[in-house]
Amino acid sequence: MTPAPVHHPSTETLAAYAAGTLRAGFDFVIAAHVRGCAQCRGEVARLEGVGGALLAEADAAAMSEEALMQALARIETAAPPAAPARTIEQIIAAAKKRWVAPGVWTARIDTPHAKDDRVYLLGVAPGVQTAKHTHSGAEFTVVLQGALNDGGVVYRAGDFCERDPDDTHHPKVEGAETCVCLFATQGRLVPSGVIGRIAFALADV
Amino acid sequence: MASQAPGQVETREEAALIARIATRDRAAFAALFGIVAPKVKGYLMRLGATGAAAEELTQDVMLTVWRKAEQFDPAKAGALTWIFVIARNRRIDALRRESSMTTYGLEAPEDMPDDSVDAPDAGLDGAEREARVRAAMQELSAEQQEVVRRSFFEEEPHAAIAAALALPLGTVKSRLRLAMAKLKAKLGDLK
Ligand SMILES: [Zn+2]
Repeated sequence: MTPAPVHHPSTETLAAYAAGTLRAGFDFVIAAHVRGCAQCRGEVARLEGVGGALLAEADAAAMSEEALMQALARIETAAPPAAPARTIEQIIAAAKKRWVAPGVWTARIDTPHAKDDRVYLLGVAPGVQTAKHTHSGAEFTVVLQGALNDGGVVYRAGDFCERDPDDTHHPKVEGAETCVCLFATQGRLVPSGVIGRIAFALADV
Repeated sequence: MASQAPGQVETREEAALIARIATRDRAAFAALFGIVAPKVKGYLMRLGATGAAAEELTQDVMLTVWRKAEQFDPAKAGALTWIFVIARNRRIDALRRESSMTTYGLEAPEDMPDDSVDAPDAGLDGAEREARVRAAMQELSAEQQEVVRRSFFEEEPHAAIAAALALPLGTVKSRLRLAMAKLKAKLGDLK
């Protein structure tokens, strides 16, 4: 059994997730963390309870006169065969790896997101120099495998990390295992340095 | 059993209706529709849907309630919380279909395993938990209630709240964090 995550999304981020108002793609990263984090599952359940309380006291908007008749007609129709819902694990497993440099691969995640945002996996072998970069927008990360050292803080499998725009950072793989992370980034990453530029040009994520 | 403070309304009636809907009781569905559909529509309009779009989405939500009624477990969640989660998810689905983004393949959260509610919580059922959340909400300051309410009713909430209240983004975030901490303290081990 993997140890419980240590780094969690902020309360504000979990509230937006429970409210359903997070950016598309970013909610996928939160879902990937929450699935493996009992603490955050409890928090989300509590926040959904707040949503229920707000719904209970919401100002009613009158439905049209024929609404109930239409609803009663619709429940008589058979449910269309539901496409089997894919789990987060299945969606992640279906992502196709592309090697972009020795020891570095990326894989796009098939989940809705805004045109200029990116949702992807990044795998980096130990000892490989990663690209130093800044962000034009927010970035959410969950470590899926291995460990990552970012400015002295170690993130292990299940841990969540949120970066604000303008953060420059240069995460390194920690330990002897390939580190695989799930990312959602708003806008393009801005690489600094030659290696970064080449890696990001190749990755096209 | 928790003692019930005056003014606390429990959603036991809605929960009982959903239990009857699970047995394909059309009268129960009509009754629940009358109570809940206008609230769902109001919630969706508050989030920016036009009247017509909100009405259509509400129909979608009520159809989902009919089809999934047997999955509702009153011991785990209050009726309005369960319906809130369905409305939230149907809204996300509709938004993402509309903007022609890639297929929404994420497993619907209302189908996700939820072990968190197996934790001991003083033997309260969903309706009692729901009543306590509402009572705790009432005890927040007006400012805190406002940020909590807005965080559920605005798209991209924090920046939107900051703009609407003419407050710095950091203030909105810390106010929300404070409100949530207060709710958490009031609700104690309540999940
Ligand atoms: Zn967590």
